[in-house]
Amino acid sequence: MLLQRIFASVLLLACVGLALMAWPYQAAFSYEPVGPRAFPLLMLGLMGVALLYMVFRPAPIKHSEDEPPLDRETLTKIGICVLLLLVFAGLFEPLGFILSSILIGIPMARLYGGRWLPSIVVTTLMAIGLYLLFDRLMDVPLPLGLLDVLEN
Amino acid sequence: MDTLGYLGQGFGVALSPYNLVTALTGTLIGTVVGLLPGLGPINGVALLIPIAFALGLPPESALILLAAVYLGCEYGGRISSILLNIPGEASTVMTTLDGYPMARQGLAGVALSLSAWSSFIGAFIATCGMVLFAPLLAKWAIAFGPAEYFVLMVFAIVCLGGMAGDRPLKTFIAALIGLFLSTVGIDANSGVYRFTGDNIHLTDGIQFVVLVLGLFSVSEILLLLEKTHRGQEAVKATGRMMFNFKEAASVFVVNIRCGLLGFIMGVLPGAGATLASAVAYMTEKRIAGTGGKFGQGDARGLAAPETAIGASACGALVPMLTLGVPGSGTTAVMIGALSLYNITPGPLLFQQQPDIVWGLIASLFIANIMLVILNIPMIRIFTRILAVPNWALVPVIAIITGIGVYAVHATTFDLFLMVGIGIFGYILRKLDFPLSPVLLGFILGGLMEQNLRRALSISNGALEILWSSPITFGVWILTAIMLLMPLLRIWRKRSAAQRAIADV
Repeated sequence: MLLQRIFASVLLLACVGLALMAWPYQAAFSYEPVGPRAFPLLMLGLMGVALLYMVFRPAPIKHSEDEPPLDRETLTKIGICVLLLLVFAGLFEPLGFILSSILIGIPMARLYGGRWLPSIVVTTLMAIGLYLLFDRLMDVPLPLGLLDVLEN
Repeated sequence: MDTLGYLGQGFGVALSPYNLVTALTGTLIGTVVGLLPGLGPINGVALLIPIAFALGLPPESALILLAAVYLGCEYGGRISSILLNIPGEASTVMTTLDGYPMARQGLAGVALSLSAWSSFIGAFIATCGMVLFAPLLAKWAIAFGPAEYFVLMVFAIVCLGGMAGDRPLKTFIAALIGLFLSTVGIDANSGVYRFTGDNIHLTDGIQFVVLVLGLFSVSEILLLLEKTHRGQEAVKATGRMMFNFKEAASVFVVNIRCGLLGFIMGVLPGAGATLASAVAYMTEKRIAGTGGKFGQGDARGLAAPETAIGASACGALVPMLTLGVPGSGTTAVMIGALSLYNITPGPLLFQQQPDIVWGLIASLFIANIMLVILNIPMIRIFTRILAVPNWALVPVIAIITGIGVYAVHATTFDLFLMVGIGIFGYILRKLDFPLSPVLLGFILGGLMEQNLRRALSISNGALEILWSSPITFGVWILTAIMLLMPLLRIWRKRSAAQRAIADV
């Protein structure tokens, strides 16, 4: 309940902020009666009303049976996982696809309970395999990054 | 009888060797994607869009591929339901009720092939319904102006909330989030930059592949972290693989009934496969009465939801193709895919590009037949795929998701945006918000705003145009009914609870 209230309040604040941001949106000159700011403002307004209702009357959350309550350990894991994904995004171009996927794939496999050796083998093979599959076979260009030297 | 002529032409398109291979690949990929935990039809279809585009597939082949993947995913979802008792999708929850007990009784193979058969009949009925009704609907929809379209989209969004039942407010908020997100980027009419925060990468707006993969794949990856328990042993599919004539005959009436039901539910926006399968199961259970062994491995309890899922998956394509208004998350993704090819689905599609529409309809027939045939020899391989542990699977999902996002624009900004959206999606999920309305809102948002502005330009700003024509007025009344439905349900529940208290 409390979480929902906090979430709704934060989203509500975001709505207000975005609405303020949208206020000056006006076309320099225009032939239509409805300008660029009406629709976003309408959506933000409706969302604001709904969120306000939620702040005061949050609905109970139904948990499915196999969903364990969030504990500190799971939260750390989720934090690490998000961090890994961000590192992946950041290193994708500088390091290249193969190296960056190996770099984040191994810790990620460990995070989901894999053992060291199988994780390393599977991730490395997968990274190279996916590169060949997508870049070479399917024409989806992927950056080589540091491995650029190997190509020539 | 030009419908039949068009259908023949469609089969001509779908039966070309190239498109046959495409459909086969699509069904295979779809089955595997549907089988794996954490990937469903929405991610499956979204992941393939940039790839189909990169491969340079012509639009009709791309659409056939996506439709085949869509059907394959629905099919793959049932394998884990029957063998593992773990529904791959929300829609296959009902399948576990009788499918898993059947598998425990040593009828795993029969359950799988019978469910494939049921789904095939459902899809067949729905595809026939589509052939009959889609052109009529398209002909009728040509008279629609911008005002009618705007109201229709309002109806589609309200329907989502009305049908979702237990959490209309959250569904509504989710849809509004999607609608709002669609306004990010440069405004096509006036050239004003909206909500971009001076970021070049947002000028074009949020790419919908990024939104889909962030919302569904990344949040699923995070969600999988919580489920620490190892997957249980799959029931071995041994013995007889094929159902016999007696079994098929015993569920035939169920198939027909649930096929029709599923088709109607699929056409209605917002209802979709989940609701269709639940309603079908409950109805059949009531019809069977005490004579049925529902919940203990009754073949009818397996056939009912499967037929309804198959039928509604095809039925959902009707509003998408004829009106250009998607009714479910997956069809919303397909609209996004078409827009990459500069094709706007809608009534005109039937006249201007009959190849695409009828080729798609014909390939639905073919993909369904392929799925039934595939079931028998491939089931051993599919069960082996089920045994892949999460630690090997999740990194692959994460990295393929990354490739899919990168393939759209080749910028790392999109990757960061995907992670951000993924975290937001995860929070939404934890707070029990449904995610597909976000997607639907996102796809409908652009269309909705354009149509609203166009309508008001026609009337020079007078709001009456939004309800003055008979069509718009009728749709508004339907919308009001849909809005009242959850309230009515809450009120009924409350009075029932009060009565229960009074009885005690």
